[in-house]
Amino acid sequence: MTCGELVRCLSDYIDDALEPERRAAVEEHLAACDKCHIVLDSTRCTILLSRAAASPSLARERREALLRRLEQACRRSS
Amino acid sequence: MGTPAAALDELACLEAMRRGDPACLGGFFAAWGDKLYRLALRLTGDPVAAEDVVQEAFLKLMAGAERIEGRARLATWLYRVAYNASIDRLREQKRLQPVPAEDDDAAVPMPETLVEFRLSPEAMARDAETRAALDEAIAAMTPSLRAVFLLRDVEGLSTAEAAEALGITENNLKVRLHRARLALRERLSAHVAGRGAGEGRA
Repeated sequence: MTCGELVRCLSDYIDDALEPERRAAVEEHLAACDKCHIVLDSTRCTILLSRAAASPSLARERREALLRRLEQACRRSS
Repeated sequence: MGTPAAALDELACLEAMRRGDPACLGGFFAAWGDKLYRLALRLTGDPVAAEDVVQEAFLKLMAGAERIEGRARLATWLYRVAYNASIDRLREQKRLQPVPAEDDDAAVPMPETLVEFRLSPEAMARDAETRAALDEAIAAMTPSLRAVFLLRDVEGLSTAEAAEALGITENNLKVRLHRARLALRERLSAHVAGRGAGEGRA
C-alpha cells in the first residue's frame, strides 16, 4: 500500500469501516511509515478536539424567552 | 441512540406537544435546543439566525402531523429541518450565492503539513487560540462539508442517520466527511506548526 492509497481510506480506517484485509494492509503501512502515522494521529486529534471544543450555547435569557414563545405557540396550536 | 425508555418519553412528549400540552416542552428543549443551536450557529455564523432556526425547527415539529417513529428518526428529522433552515438563512443573507455544488468526484488533496500534535485534544480545547483556529477552519469549509462534519464527528450521528438528515447518499456522505476531516486536519496542523515556530523564536 502506498501513502496515497492509505490517505484515501484513512477516514474509513478511523471509522473501522474497512474490510479486514484492507485494514491489515493499512496497519502494515502505518507500522513502517512515520508520515502516515502523523497524518492518522493528527486527523484523530482534530476530530476529538472538535468534539471537546463545544461552540457557545444560547445565552440563558435568550433561551428562556425562546422557550416561552414556544410554549405559547404550543398552547395556541391546540 | 438512547435507551428504549428515553425513546418512549420523547415520542410521548412529542404527541403531548402536538395536542397543545407544553408540560414537557422544557425537557424536550433541554435535550435538543442546544444541539440544534450549535449546528445552526456553525452553519450560519450568526447567533440571531441560529436562534431563529431553533425556533423554526420546534414550531415545525409541534405543528407537524406526520408520525415520527423512534428516537433516531426524531434526531434526523430535527437536524434536517435545522440544516435546511440554516441554508435558507445563508441564502437570505446572500452569503451563499449560489449554493455551491459539492464535487464528490474531485481528488482529495494529499496532506501537506506534517506535525505531531503533542498536546491531548482536551488540552488543545482549553487553549483559546487553538479554539479560534478550529472555528476558523470549520467556517472556511463549504456549508455542506461543514454540516457533514458537524453531524458525524461532533454530534455523533451514524453515517446512515447523517446521510438521511442531509438528504444525500451514504457514499456521498463518506466522501464529504473524508474531505472535511482532511481539510480541518490541514488547517489545524498549520496552526500547530506555526505555534511551534513561535515558541522556538521566543
